[in-house]
Amino acid sequence: MISFFAKKNAVRRCRRGELPASICSYVNSFTGRSDLDMPLGKVRYVVFDTETTGFDSAKDSVISIGAVALSGSRIRVEDSFEVLIRRGSVGDSEAVTTHGLLLRDLHEGREEGEAVNGFLEYIGNSVLVAQHADFDVAMINRMLNKQYGFELFNDVIDTASLAKRLEKGPYYNLAHKSGEYRLDILLERYNIRLYDRHTAAGDAFLTARLFQMLLRKAGDAGIKTLRELLLK
Amino acid sequence: MPSNTIVERVVADLQKYPPFDELASDVLQDLAQSVSVTYHEEGEVIFSKGDTLKGHAFMVMKGAVRLFDSIEGKEVLVDLCDEGDVFGVRAVFARHDYVLTAQVAEESLLFELPVDKIKHLLETNPRVSLFFAGAFAKSVEEIEHTLTEAFDIGQRLYREQSCNSFLQNETLEVKPVTTVITCPPDISIRDAAKIMSDRNIGSIIVVSPEKHPLGIITDTDLTKKVVSKPGSIKEEPVSGIMSSPVYTISGGKTIADMVMLMVKTKLRHFCITEDGSPDSPVTGIISEHDIITSEGNNPAVIMKAIMQASSRDQLKEQRDKTENLLQFYIDQEVAVHFISNIVTEINDAIITRAIDFSLKELETELERPDVDFCWLSLGSEGRKEQLLRTDQDNAILYADPPSGKAEKIHEYFLALGKKVTDILQHCGFVKCPADIMASNPVWCQPISVWKGYFSKWIVTPEPKAVMHSTIFFDFRPVYGQAKLAAELKQEIFNLIARNKGFLGFFAKNALQNPPPLGFFRNFLVEKSRDHANEFDIKARAMMPLSDAARVLAYELKIPEYFSTVERFKRLQVLVPGMKDLGAEAAAGYEFLIRLRAVNGLLNASSGRYIKPETLNKIERQTLRNVFSTIDRVQKTLNLRFQLDYIRD
Repeated sequence: MISFFAKKNAVRRCRRGELPASICSYVNSFTGRSDLDMPLGKVRYVVFDTETTGFDSAKDSVISIGAVALSGSRIRVEDSFEVLIRRGSVGDSEAVTTHGLLLRDLHEGREEGEAVNGFLEYIGNSVLVAQHADFDVAMINRMLNKQYGFELFNDVIDTASLAKRLEKGPYYNLAHKSGEYRLDILLERYNIRLYDRHTAAGDAFLTARLFQMLLRKAGDAGIKTLRELLLK
Repeated sequence: MPSNTIVERVVADLQKYPPFDELASDVLQDLAQSVSVTYHEEGEVIFSKGDTLKGHAFMVMKGAVRLFDSIEGKEVLVDLCDEGDVFGVRAVFARHDYVLTAQVAEESLLFELPVDKIKHLLETNPRVSLFFAGAFAKSVEEIEHTLTEAFDIGQRLYREQSCNSFLQNETLEVKPVTTVITCPPDISIRDAAKIMSDRNIGSIIVVSPEKHPLGIITDTDLTKKVVSKPGSIKEEPVSGIMSSPVYTISGGKTIADMVMLMVKTKLRHFCITEDGSPDSPVTGIISEHDIITSEGNNPAVIMKAIMQASSRDQLKEQRDKTENLLQFYIDQEVAVHFISNIVTEINDAIITRAIDFSLKELETELERPDVDFCWLSLGSEGRKEQLLRTDQDNAILYADPPSGKAEKIHEYFLALGKKVTDILQHCGFVKCPADIMASNPVWCQPISVWKGYFSKWIVTPEPKAVMHSTIFFDFRPVYGQAKLAAELKQEIFNLIARNKGFLGFFAKNALQNPPPLGFFRNFLVEKSRDHANEFDIKARAMMPLSDAARVLAYELKIPEYFSTVERFKRLQVLVPGMKDLGAEAAAGYEFLIRLRAVNGLLNASSGRYIKPETLNKIERQTLRNVFSTIDRVQKTLNLRFQLDYIRD
């Protein structure tokens, strides 16, 4: 419901010319009815990951975004995306050891507005997919709010929840054992060899591989349409 | 812009396996970008026999895929592909449906490689095309298409159109053994064994009184069923141990048929009967041995040996073997376009290897300049028409060097040209008496100089210069950056477009040798002492056709590096009024190539000079028809360029 009003508001601002044209084409791509009955094989999914200066979504900021799209169950290398964002800091030493990016790497990065703009242009109204998606979506939303005053309108799938749901059924409560659904563990469980961990694009590609297998599992479990996949 | 990290990831995966392991990184990145990744569970069918070809081939990155044929409802496993194997390549080479079914044997991750990209790689990268030739050759998968298609790659390298006429059905017949030894079912095993050892044969067919096959006894039967058994069963009748029924076929089977049959049935002996059924008399037998010895004349084996050669002596050995193959094909009356494709592929492979060797040798001698180059074959080799080894005609074309480096770079490529031409000479390709070779500083030049040469020939054409330059207009890239050759060709088209007069000269030159229409009344034979009373098939019959085809090909801006036959086939489509004439000229030219090869093999010569009395009646008749075709081609040319108005 909130999203509904936010969308209306954004559309209105676009009409008044208060938002840049490229942002508006993102906003306007959500004005039509989304076809939730689309078969899973026809959907464009964008699997993405962010690297951040830390894990506090209220305080830390995104320093890189990586993404790759699936058209149905097919990962299309051509349809991928990667951006570094110029920042004054790369985070504390713990964050740096995770993402491996140094301040001098970020000099090559783009301004936050430009980066977010590019990302929106790339994702369009596709279904977003991420591992522990809440965090990544919150991080993107923080930038979006700051830059343009709205948040992502896309449908989002969290691979950890989807894996849990497919492995254990929709209402299985594993909150106390969330470790079993960490990306490393999932990848290992699904026999996906680890490489390029902790670069945004590398993790996005690995997550796409995981999501590809989950999609197949979902199909086998009788989930045929986007509506069923999103539990809407 | 796709994500660099992801593209690099895919590059790293591709790079692990041939033929992608040796590609330049920019080429690999371009390929990696076009990849789609798919995941499949066990049992999933990727494509089925009879399905329309897809737009991509597949590479197994993880898991395994089985390829099988279905014969009369039974599955016959043809290949099992696992990590790094490429399958479904048929989409690249064929135009028809899949002939096998691909099913996931264990959960798999596949890379889909777009057909366009592979085709592009085949064009630009000899190593890749060699790999696919080899990959095809090694698999029994599509043996009937293998031999032709694998060697057809070169054919398709630089062009869209292809002559699919020859892909089908052109295979060689396996000659059965017709003096079949048979025995009645009631003789003892001992007697049967004795017949086999007396006659030194590996099998004996057991027949009914009407000579209908009942069963077969082979060496293996004797070992497994008699020798290894305790007790004496040697006195028992052969009917007790024979393999029965015998697999019967009708005669006239090709190697391809037989290999497929062996794969399907897992049998090693096939009995030929009058009507192909077991209820008619035995007329022959084909054993695995017969099939394999036929296969010994397999161009794929020669290709493989060339690819794996480590010395120039090995290259020579394989090129000598090719001569036997040629003899075999000529004897079997295999179609000329098929033969010339194969010989051209083999020649190209030898050149490619000669260049590989030379580049390697040069590593310790000179610094390799960072400049693209392209090895060009010229003249008949450029037109893919060299069946017998004749003079070398080649050149090196390289990108314009950065300023100040011209001399060093020229020195390097000249050294390369010398080494390669030496190796080719060692392999039996005599050096060009006119010294039109890459080892000649004049013909080892950067593209701007080459453009200058053509500009001179085209802008200020002199009859003599035109005559001498025709050989260069038939250049064909064999190694290196084909785009340099394409650029040169484009420049020639531009020059010709700006200098209208040139084509007239070019055409006039093509009419230098009128055909000897009175061939039968008074032979038009050479007067020179060396070849007195011989007929010069090259100058009198082949050149008039190849020259005419070249003129028209340049007039109509045909970009491909075609043979004369291919040029005529294309002209058939492009020139209204040449539909029938083009077909006749193409067929006529093929006949001439064959005649020359037969003559050359007979006399261990280039085959150029023919003694008219050695021709049989049909050959003379055909030759006369070809002459009349040449006459009409020349008339067409004359009319088209209004040559009667051009004066010398």
